[in-house]
Amino acid sequence: MAEKSHTSIQYEKELQDIKETLLYEGALVEKAIQYAMQSLLERDSDRARNVIAADDRINELDKRIEENCIRLLALRQPAAKDLRFIATAIKVNGHLERIGDLAVNIARRALDLNEVPPVKPYVDLPRMSDITREMVKESLDALVKEDCELAEAVREKDEKVDNLNEQIFRELLTFMLEDPKTIHRSLMITQISKSLERISDHAESIAKMVIYMVTGKNVRHQGTARDSEK
Amino acid sequence: MSGTRVLPGIPKNKRTCLHKVGLSGEYMKKSLFYKVFGTYLVITLIAMLVVGFYATRQIQSRLMERIDTELMSYAQMININPSQSEIISKINSLSKTSNARITLVDSDGVILADSDEQASGMDNHLNRPEIEEARVKDTGRSMRFSKTLGMNTLYVALPIKEGPAIRGYIRLARPLTEVRHYIREINLLILQSFLIVGFLSFLIAFVFTSRLTSPIHEMEQFTERLREGEDPGSLMINSSDETGRLARNINYMVLELKEKIQSANEEKGKLESVLASMEDGILLLDTDDKIEAINDASKKIFTTRFHDIVGKTPLEAFRNIDMQKALDRFKETGTPVSREIILGEEDQTELDVTISPVHGLPEGKEKAMIVMHDVTRLKKLEKVRADFVANVTHEIKTPLTAILGFIETLEGGAIDERNTAKKFLHTIHDNAERLDRLVDDLRVISDAELGDMKFSFEDVSLNGVIENALTVIERKASEKRLVIEKEIPDDLPSIWGDRDRLHQIMLNVLDNAVKFTPDEGKISIKALDGKDGNVYIKTSDTGIGIPKGEISRLGERFYRVDKTRSRELGGTGLGLSIVKHLMTAHNGRIEIDSQLGRGTTVSLIFPTYQEDLTA
Repeated sequence: MAEKSHTSIQYEKELQDIKETLLYEGALVEKAIQYAMQSLLERDSDRARNVIAADDRINELDKRIEENCIRLLALRQPAAKDLRFIATAIKVNGHLERIGDLAVNIARRALDLNEVPPVKPYVDLPRMSDITREMVKESLDALVKEDCELAEAVREKDEKVDNLNEQIFRELLTFMLEDPKTIHRSLMITQISKSLERISDHAESIAKMVIYMVTGKNVRHQGTARDSEK
Repeated sequence: MSGTRVLPGIPKNKRTCLHKVGLSGEYMKKSLFYKVFGTYLVITLIAMLVVGFYATRQIQSRLMERIDTELMSYAQMININPSQSEIISKINSLSKTSNARITLVDSDGVILADSDEQASGMDNHLNRPEIEEARVKDTGRSMRFSKTLGMNTLYVALPIKEGPAIRGYIRLARPLTEVRHYIREINLLILQSFLIVGFLSFLIAFVFTSRLTSPIHEMEQFTERLREGEDPGSLMINSSDETGRLARNINYMVLELKEKIQSANEEKGKLESVLASMEDGILLLDTDDKIEAINDASKKIFTTRFHDIVGKTPLEAFRNIDMQKALDRFKETGTPVSREIILGEEDQTELDVTISPVHGLPEGKEKAMIVMHDVTRLKKLEKVRADFVANVTHEIKTPLTAILGFIETLEGGAIDERNTAKKFLHTIHDNAERLDRLVDDLRVISDAELGDMKFSFEDVSLNGVIENALTVIERKASEKRLVIEKEIPDDLPSIWGDRDRLHQIMLNVLDNAVKFTPDEGKISIKALDGKDGNVYIKTSDTGIGIPKGEISRLGERFYRVDKTRSRELGGTGLGLSIVKHLMTAHNGRIEIDSQLGRGTTVSLIFPTYQEDLTA
């Protein structure tokens, strides 16, 4: 894209436009996760309402990117790297939109949880949220820089999030067993934890698409580089 | 890209491109030479052709005339004595003398004799043009191709008359080999002179072009040096013709150019040094909204996360919604836009960002400039101050409310119930004491901050300080059934300090440890001489711990990680702040390390007495 100039400036512009819109969507999504988690941890319901309102914008961008990608495919018949970029853009776009929805889920739960006293101070959830946000951020960074190493690093973080998710579930289970009154709240927290875990999965998928876009190799449904070294 | 490029020069590749197009001196010289030489050659050729053409024609006609006259006079001489038999008998010797073929024809056209051929085998000659002409005009001549002689031949014929009657004809013929021969010679001469002239013109053209191109060549090299950026000096061509004038003009132009370049360089240098020394970060966006140049300050603002941003759009570089919104707004309105933007997540950078257009570019292009003012520290200070005011009022208000409330109750009649009144008075006393403590702490803080604090420095044994503090704290600790572990060597070096202040430091640290450790926890105090000129006192607890992000704010006045809990525990929120100030006064420092939920370790690091003396 950037290093190679196309004969048609218009074409170049359209590709760049898709990239920009995608990054804009990414930035919105990153912020949505951040605000959703802040609204929970700082018990600030306004932020949660912000996240829910901002989802319309994300959906709108999602539609626009998809339309632009399809139009470009139809009119320009891109080849090689451009084609891979468009394919990646369509996929990443879908993932980002889903992450946006998950952030809305978290925000909704946060709104509920902010109305009731906390079960316990959050310890693992902030860590999980930090790692997840890092993953989303780095997967998008990898997309911008076309950096396979960074993408690979994102993939390796997914395991940590999975572990934290399980840990949170186990911990909440003991709370629920001890005191049935906490069941409702605990379940909501597990839902949030689950949403974060799903977000990290989407981030991992984005990272894989980046690897595909740069190298042309499809690493989906395969282990990470570290796994294969074992 | 290395360094800051504010004013981009001509890119390198464009220069080489120019070089390819430029004519090399050698090539130009040759081409000019060929042009001059070619012109000379063409002119010479035309002249020679014209001369050749006229000369050949002239010579041919003169020769023909001569041959014609010669033949005619021979014919007349033969005709003087027209005895046919005599002519026939002497025809061969006559032919030899006249160097011509002689033919004798009778009036009917029958050949009587011929010097070159047998007369009997020849055709009738009456209808030959020269004979016909002779019959009519008395003389006849014709030039045509003779089959007998095999070449162009001039024929001359005279009638042999007896009175008015024609008895026969005498004809002389001579082939024109002589003419051809002459013409060939002339042509050869012309060719020779053409070659000589051609050679001369070659020499002349060479000399002429060298004389013409040498100043041009010099000028060309001169301009080449100029383009390469060297100092070309000035052209030394003393000639009054066009080249001389051209050289003078070039010299003048170079002088002007030098001045302009110098002033431009000065301007550029000024601009660059201004940009480089500016505290504010500056990004220059090109017409495609890509970051074209950044100054040093922006490199400082953008930590490692944002390195390598030149050539990217701001969205690619920062992926920040607020920045993008500001840019979009700027693009819509075209007027400067100011926003406060937070970059980064872990350690946030708050920026006061102004986007403004860069005017005065050629072709009506508009670039944008983003000026970023780092207000992180400012905002932090602002927040600290705002928090302080809010906290002070809050801290004072809480005990006051309690005191006022109980006094009102007492006034309302509770004073008559002796037992209740006593309890109330006790509460009032407690709150008043707390107020007192708070005011004391505040005074210490403000003294420390204003540098008004009075110290009485002396040699102090840290063992004594720690022991004293521990005895004070032991009662509280035993209430919470805390285990206190000590690991204090007896020979701790003494330090130069204020005994009361050191006691206060130790007490505050231990008090915090006790306060934030749940019942049946453990507190351990380790002291050691680091042998590096420092004494370390580490107080670890198994308390609730502090989140990572909050540690840096602990020294702030009234800053509490968990506001409600701390107040329940009777803290003023000033303890650590006071410790920090007092440690600074002792040239020491405090380090806090904590794991949320696991406990906190507070390390006090004092320079030893000896170190202090040498310092």
